[in-house]
Amino acid sequence: MGRRQFAAILRKDLIRELRTREMLVSMFLFVMLALVIFHYAFGVDEDTDLTYFTGGMLWVTFIFSALLGLNRSFAQEKDEQCLDGLLLCPVDRVTIFFAKTVGNLVFLLIIQAVSVPVFTLFFIERSYLADVGLFILVLLLADLGICTLGTLLATISMSTRARDLLLPIVFLPLIVPLLIAATSATTAIFADGADLGGLAARLGFLAAFDAVFMVAAYGTYDFAIGE
Amino acid sequence: MSIEEGAKFVAAAYAIILAVVIAYYALSARRVSALQRDVDLLRREVEKREAAGSGD
Amino acid sequence: MDVKKLTSAPALFAAAGAFLVTGLLLAFLYAPIDASSMGFSQKIFYYHAPIAETALLAFGIAFVAAILYLRDPDPKWDRLGYVSVRLGLLFSLLVMATGMIWGKAAWDAWWAWEPRLTTFLIVCFLYAAYFVLRQVVEEESRRATFAAVFAIVAFIDVPITFFATRYMPEGLHPVVITAGDSGMEGSMFLSFMISMVGMTLLLVALLRVDVAAERLKDDIDDLKTRMGG
Repeated sequence: MGRRQFAAILRKDLIRELRTREMLVSMFLFVMLALVIFHYAFGVDEDTDLTYFTGGMLWVTFIFSALLGLNRSFAQEKDEQCLDGLLLCPVDRVTIFFAKTVGNLVFLLIIQAVSVPVFTLFFIERSYLADVGLFILVLLLADLGICTLGTLLATISMSTRARDLLLPIVFLPLIVPLLIAATSATTAIFADGADLGGLAARLGFLAAFDAVFMVAAYGTYDFAIGE
Repeated sequence: MSIEEGAKFVAAAYAIILAVVIAYYALSARRVSALQRDVDLLRREVEKREAAGSGD
Repeated sequence: MDVKKLTSAPALFAAAGAFLVTGLLLAFLYAPIDASSMGFSQKIFYYHAPIAETALLAFGIAFVAAILYLRDPDPKWDRLGYVSVRLGLLFSLLVMATGMIWGKAAWDAWWAWEPRLTTFLIVCFLYAAYFVLRQVVEEESRRATFAAVFAIVAFIDVPITFFATRYMPEGLHPVVITAGDSGMEGSMFLSFMISMVGMTLLLVALLRVDVAAERLKDDIDDLKTRMGG
């Protein structure tokens, strides 16, 4: 029963966004513009080698883009009172959480699928095609952590007076460890190439981070959604 | 770094800790007694009013 | 009942003071000067580390209080949580201050991105967010609920952050070991432990006082409502 409801909520969110594409377009433009700004902010002259900054640039951009997306999707919910309607149905709160998390994850992945090639074009000299599988793994694990925490916190912040202003404040300190792991893993892949063994610790850390916060969200989402 | 220089830093660190902690405790204790006075005052007021109200 | 709480706080504070002063004396008169390059400035450690652990203890108390509140929404748990976080934040700021002074003394730099300083910096931002969150929720029980959820998530993140700042950044700062990590010899350990007990007693004393203050504030609000009605 939970699975059908999960699918229904997920499909509703996906269809709604794919129809208008407002949020996706905004997120994408944000990422592109951020990349251009990074070039001018860091690469002052032609010879500046940004290779060891690439991981950081990428993840900073993705995290802020995710915040944008989270704020947007929950603001819509709030304005259209979808959440209230949803709560009236006999749906398990946790199902709502997972459906929303996966929805946000899908949006983030769509943005990343388009922006990573552009990023590669702009900033990466070395081909990392050999490690692309590893890179995708890092991406997925980090995205999961971002979306899990982000969805939980966005649910809370949207019910407050400050709404979208609160989310970065509560979210960013919490996400720092994930950022550290994702950034160093990504830079390793872009700069020198890496193998599974070398990244095992970071991947394990990301997976553990995801697991821990999924459990925490599972335990607290009932309270986060309030009412 | 000589002992004298090191000692200055150490003294500064401890001084800050003691100052902050004592100040915080003093302020908190003072706040509690002020609040306690307010509560007692209010409580008496409320009881007075409730007695007067029910007396009518 | 409130009177009892108040009288025990000064007693606790006095006891804390006794331990802390003893620890201080031991640190300076009994424990040897550190053999490493830090020399005399290492003595800061005898308060710096206990304060750090007490801060974490305070956040841990907030974590437990949060869980208890979610299971049984009694305002007393919310008060305890709020006060614990505030004290934890205060102690964290002290950790940063003493850590920076120590850094200046030991390496001639006010700031270094070393694990302990960095983690406490993040911790400060994390729990500052707790107060921002409380500020923007108007309804009382919702505020307490959201704050509890955040206190739980935040505390879980603290050891994760410690781990990440210590083991992940590579090639940057070689992890500069602050004396507490290498084995301590007996006299150092004793001084440290006594200061540790002192700091913990101090935390309990401050908790008592502040929780009493919050309780009284709530009483005043209730009484005012009764008056208005």
